Parts: sequence; C-alpha cells; structure tokens
Amino acid sequence: MNEISSSKPEGQAMISMAGVDKWYGAFQALKDINISVGKGEKIVLCGPSGSGKSTLIRCINHLETYQKGEIRVGDIVLGHQAKSIDAVRREVGMVFQQFNLFPHLTVLENCMLAPMRALRLSKVEAESRARQLLERVRISEQADKYPAQLSGGQQQRVAIARALCMRPQVMLFDEPTSALDPEMVKEVLDTMIALAEEGMTMICVTHEMGFARQVADRVIFMASGAVVEQAPPAEFFSDPKHERTRKFLGEILGRH
Amino acid sequence: MGRDEIIFLLIGLKWTIALSIVGFVCGCIAGLFIALARTSGVRVVEGLTAGYIAVFQGTPLLMQLFVVYYGLALIGIKVDAWLAVAVGLTLHASAYLGEIWRGAIEAVPQGQTEASKALALSYSSRMKDIILPQALRISLPATIGFLVQLIKGTSLASIVGFTELTRAGNIISNQIFQPLTVFGIVGILYFIMCCPLTIYGAHLERKFAAQAR
Ligand SMILES: Nc1ncnc2c1ncn2[C@@H]1O[C@H](COP(=O)(O)OP(=O)(O)O)[C@@H](O)[C@H]1O
Ligand SMILES: [Mg+2]
Repeated sequence: MNEISSSKPEGQAMISMAGVDKWYGAFQALKDINISVGKGEKIVLCGPSGSGKSTLIRCINHLETYQKGEIRVGDIVLGHQAKSIDAVRREVGMVFQQFNLFPHLTVLENCMLAPMRALRLSKVEAESRARQLLERVRISEQADKYPAQLSGGQQQRVAIARALCMRPQVMLFDEPTSALDPEMVKEVLDTMIALAEEGMTMICVTHEMGFARQVADRVIFMASGAVVEQAPPAEFFSDPKHERTRKFLGEILGRH
Repeated sequence: MGRDEIIFLLIGLKWTIALSIVGFVCGCIAGLFIALARTSGVRVVEGLTAGYIAVFQGTPLLMQLFVVYYGLALIGIKVDAWLAVAVGLTLHASAYLGEIWRGAIEAVPQGQTEASKALALSYSSRMKDIILPQALRISLPATIGFLVQLIKGTSLASIVGFTELTRAGNIISNQIFQPLTVFGIVGILYFIMCCPLTIYGAHLERKFAAQAR
C-alpha cells in the first residue's frame, strides 16, 4: 500500500495546504496544517467530533477563510480575492452531510444550474451533461422530481451528480452518509467507490472505516485542529502510532 | 344616493387602487434593494439600511406623507399630491418590505448559500436563482399582509388633499348628509379589495406549514 502514496510525486500535487492556521475569534480551529494530495489520490479524513475536519475541507473551497498559510488547488493559489476563489470553486466539487439540494428546483434543474451560470454552458449542453451524470449515479428516472420527493440516499446521489456536472478535478465529501438511514448508506458509498475507481481525486470526511480500507490511499487523523497521524489504511488500522489515534479507533471500531 | 355619487366613489376607488399598485410595485423594487443591502455583509451598508428601516417603521405613515408633500415643496420641488403620495407610500413600503424580506432571506437555510458558493455561483446568481425564490415563498404571507395594510394606508392620502376613496366618501357624505350609507359603501369597497387577499395569505400560510411538515 505504501507505494501508492509514494508514486505521487510532490510536483503533481492536486491540493496542497502549507502551514494553514485558522481561528474562530480566539479559538484556533486549525493548527499548522500541512497536507499534499496527489492527482487521483483518495484521502479519508477522520477524527473526533469538533477536531476541525469540516473546517479543513471547507477552507479548500474557501467556504471558510483562513488566517495563515497557503492553499493551492492545481496551479491556482487560493487567495482571498474573488477571482482565485471562483477559479478554485470551479475545480472543486463538494458534497455536504445535509445534501443541500435546491428544494425549489427539480433534480435535473439542480444539476443544470451551475454549469449554465458558472461555466456558461448552453441549456442543451447542460441538460445532456446532467442527464449523463444522473445516469451515472443511477437516478435518471427521478430527473423531473423535486428533492423532497426522494429518499435521503437518492438525494445524496443527486448532490454528487450535481457537483460532478461542473467536471471538477477534486471532490470533497463532508460526512456524506452521516445523515442517512442505515439502509441508504451503501448506495451512497457505492457511488463514491465508483467515482474513486474512475480516478477522481477525493478527500472524504467519514467514519465509514470499511470505505476507508477499500478505497483510501491514505487516512489522515485529526484531533484538536491538528493532523496527528497519516498513513495508508492497512498501516493506519493495524499499527496506529499515536495514543489518540488508538483511542479514537477503539471507540469507532468498537461501536460497529 | 344617486348614480353620480356612486360614480364619484368609484373614481376615488380607482385612485386608491392606483396608489396601492404604485406604492406596492415601487415599494417592492426599492424594498428588494433594501433587503439585499441589509443582508450584504458590509457593515456600513447594513447599518445605513437598518437606520432607514427604523425611521420608516418608527414614524406614522401620515407624518411621512406630510414630510414628503410639504418637505419637497419647501426645498423648491413642486409636486402634485398624487406624486407626493406615491413617493411617500413607496418609501414606506420599501422599508417594511425590505425588513420582511431581510427576515425571509435570513430564514433560508445556510446550507443553500454554501452549496451555491461551492458550485461557483456568483452573488447575483446565488440570489436570483437560489436564495430569493425561496425567501419570496417564505415571505409571501407576510408580504400579502403588508399589501392589505398598504391598501388601507392609502386612505391617509386624503389628508394631503388627494381624492382617493376615503376622501371621495367624505365629499359625498358632506353633500348628501348620509354618512352611514356613504361610509358603509366605502367600507364595503375596502373590504372587497382586502378580504380576498387576507384569505389568500392565510391559505398560503397553511399550505406552506403543511409542506414544511
Ligand atoms: N462558525 C464557527 N464559529 C466558532 N467556532 C466554530 C465555528 N465552526 C466550527 N467551530 C469550532 O471549530 C471546531 C472544529 O469544528 P469542525 O471543523 O466543524 O469539526 P468537525 O467537522 O471535525 O466535527 C469545533 O470546536 C467547533 O466548535
Ligand atoms: Mg464536521
């Protein structure tokens, strides 16, 4: 497993965070984050609640600002000006715990809007792209329904398709299965696995350790706003180095 | 009470409707900008619009109409009563609608803004395509409620000498000395305008409440 991460040379980093610090007022939510994610690499980010996982991935597409350090996506340096933020957001798709589909638009319209507005695609192009991706997440027969008419698992698959319609280079997932009923977790994970197999660069915040074992190239463990440990999944689960990692794994694996 | 009197009342009614429409439509347009400014995230702009809203919500409409009517005359701008009242009602409506819609914009879940941003939508697209359609829906019952208040509020235009429905009623009543009949009819005309709106507003409120469940 080790050779997977070493086969991604530094120069090809799809995402890099260097010395990133973030404060909410006086509270430091991220402490000196240094992460480099290669093209096509799949990262699972885990850690106790409140450890800063969401904050970290939300900095990558500038849903949160950060006060120190540098973030790059591809060759774009994410500054605080609108231009670089827009450029990054066109390359980075995000899937949220609560789906955040647009309730007043149909499934198809949800998928067509951003390509038309942000990429200036024609309606025809946007629709064919949307239908193609809804097909890919196996939900094309629901295209004309409204989000509220779908199950949670279906909604989350639409949210994935919606993000993919931008043809992003990177996908960020923030606990995509945490709000789902247990019987719907698998359909969403299967969609994510398929995406991983197609070579998408992914950062997934998740506590689905089966998913981590199956698709992750690297597992990153965070606690109290800092990266504590990172390793390929086999090593991470069998031989965690830090006490906090062991404690966390004990809790999370013991629970299942 | 004869045919001529009825026609005179109906002409007054026409002006009441015209004032309501102008006040509401212009108030909606100005109110939209007030609401957007109020939620812009820019401190100074938010503060200024908060002040604007406070002034117009904190003073009587009658006084606002006086100030516009006589105030504009004082600084040398000659306007007729119609324009002064239209401007006054627009300012008044923009403040109330701005505040109603500010609340509605803020009631749209934060996740909608985040998803829009993550999809690289611009501010204008985020507002036009995502936030405002949802906010409008949320605010519809309150907006209709305000429209009803505004229709009744146009009666204050009579104070600055504008002959809308209430003033028309007053004039007729002074001519034929049948205040009960005349104002009874005037009341019925207001009721016919406002009651369907009130019922429609209540209907929407129930419908949205049912959907939210
Ligand atoms: N908007 C905010 N204001 C203040 N503190 C926040 C805010 N958002 C998150 N935090 C704090 O930052 C820490 C990290 O939060 P988060 O990134 O959401 O953690 P995780 O996703 O790992 O559960 C938590 O302690 C949380 O309370
Ligand atoms: Mg989180």
